[in-house]
Amino acid sequence: MRRVLTIAQMAFTETVRDKILYSILVFALAMIGSSTILVTLSVGGEGRIVKDLGLACITLFGLFISVFIGINLVSREIERRTIFSLLSKPVRRAEFLVGKFLGLGLTLAVNLGIMAAGLMVLAWALEDHWTPRILLAVGFTFVELLVLTATAILFSTFSTPTLSAIYTLLVFVIGRLSADLMAFAAQFGGASLRATAVGLYYLLPNLSRFNVSGAVVNDLPLDAGTLALTAIYGVLYAAAVLAVAVAVFQRRDFR
Amino acid sequence: MSGSGRTQTAPPARAFPERLTQVVALAIAGAALAGALLASREIPPQAVRSETPQPIFFPRVEIVRPALLGFVGLAADLTWIRTVQYFGSRIEGKERFPQLYQLVDMTTSLDPHFLDAYQYGALFLTIARQYPNAIAIYRKGIAANPSAWQLPHDLGRLYFLELQDYQQALHWWEITDRLPGRPHYIPRFLIRLQAKVGRLETALELWQQMFRQSENEAVREIARREIQKLREEMQRTQAGNPSR
Repeated sequence: MRRVLTIAQMAFTETVRDKILYSILVFALAMIGSSTILVTLSVGGEGRIVKDLGLACITLFGLFISVFIGINLVSREIERRTIFSLLSKPVRRAEFLVGKFLGLGLTLAVNLGIMAAGLMVLAWALEDHWTPRILLAVGFTFVELLVLTATAILFSTFSTPTLSAIYTLLVFVIGRLSADLMAFAAQFGGASLRATAVGLYYLLPNLSRFNVSGAVVNDLPLDAGTLALTAIYGVLYAAAVLAVAVAVFQRRDFR
Repeated sequence: MSGSGRTQTAPPARAFPERLTQVVALAIAGAALAGALLASREIPPQAVRSETPQPIFFPRVEIVRPALLGFVGLAADLTWIRTVQYFGSRIEGKERFPQLYQLVDMTTSLDPHFLDAYQYGALFLTIARQYPNAIAIYRKGIAANPSAWQLPHDLGRLYFLELQDYQQALHWWEITDRLPGRPHYIPRFLIRLQAKVGRLETALELWQQMFRQSENEAVREIARREIQKLREEMQRTQAGNPSR
């Protein structure tokens, strides 16, 4: 466990030194701030415009961080040949991958925290009261991004960084569409298409489950049991994907 | 080549053409930019922005929704801003609003819990004198948000002020009265409406109840005056119709 935490700490240090992270963060904060301009164009709904845009920015820029940094975590070690010296030490490949995942998870948590704080202050300035439920929406975005980070790491264990980024972004799109995919197959498809859609529905992550922004922005009630199950689903799914990544990485030949 | 043993370096004479290339490139960039700016100033305004309002294309929400990848709230906000701009840009010219209903409908279909869009959207439609459309938006909002007092309240106001349909106003304010968070003046409005639609005895009873229950002296004074007025009106009605 200590080795995993050491690698996680190293991965965190490595990612926070990455200039791309800062450019994404600055751009995200600028986008969240720009919602105040949009507000001036509206009549009513000012608070919700800021929250909607802010939460969308947090999701999208969080996605960029998890994909573009996640795909490089493993491939960069291979490219620079540093993986040889690392794995020649008493470090298991599984520990290496889990450590990398936790390190990027911590980076994501810090970045999402900064963006959420910016959004909360902006919403407070506009509405004159705090909206702590923003943290709930950001929390579920974090779980969604953990699933995508694990997916990015999985792809990067056997593919090139560019392809890994494309695959992970596709998983995001399909994951967000999975409920619609099911409905589409039920409405139009034949038996084989329906079976494929059902298979994909259960195999791919149902990312729409993590999207509670609508309920948060409109101040609608949320069921605590459902939220807990959703969080458990996300953590278990990320663990499963990471386990597959470990299995693939275990067989990888670095020659 | 290497037989001579001399190392090959770029001749110093090449430095000048490289610098010259840089200077020429920058000069071309400056000239092109200046030309582009001049050309853009010469473009007549109508080529930049059409004076004739362009019709807005409305895709079906069922088709658009999946393509939004869960960012429906944001799409609703942007459609709402478009609605406000559409209304604002035409109201000064006293133009008609042929696509206002579609815009409000699209916004509220994207996010059925966007209360401000229902409220202001229906208000815009009321200002545009599209009363059936305004009523349709209110009813859609009430169906999607049954616990929001604002929508039946505003619909009651539309019936009361614009259409002078007091029975309908009474109906919607009675619904408002049952919802949490409704304004404190709704019970008083209701009683006055009861009287207005001819239910004088019910109105009298309700005012008397308010007079007894209220601890606020101003409200008690209002109730006392209303009771007095109602009694006088009832006496007049009885005097004018002795058979009853």
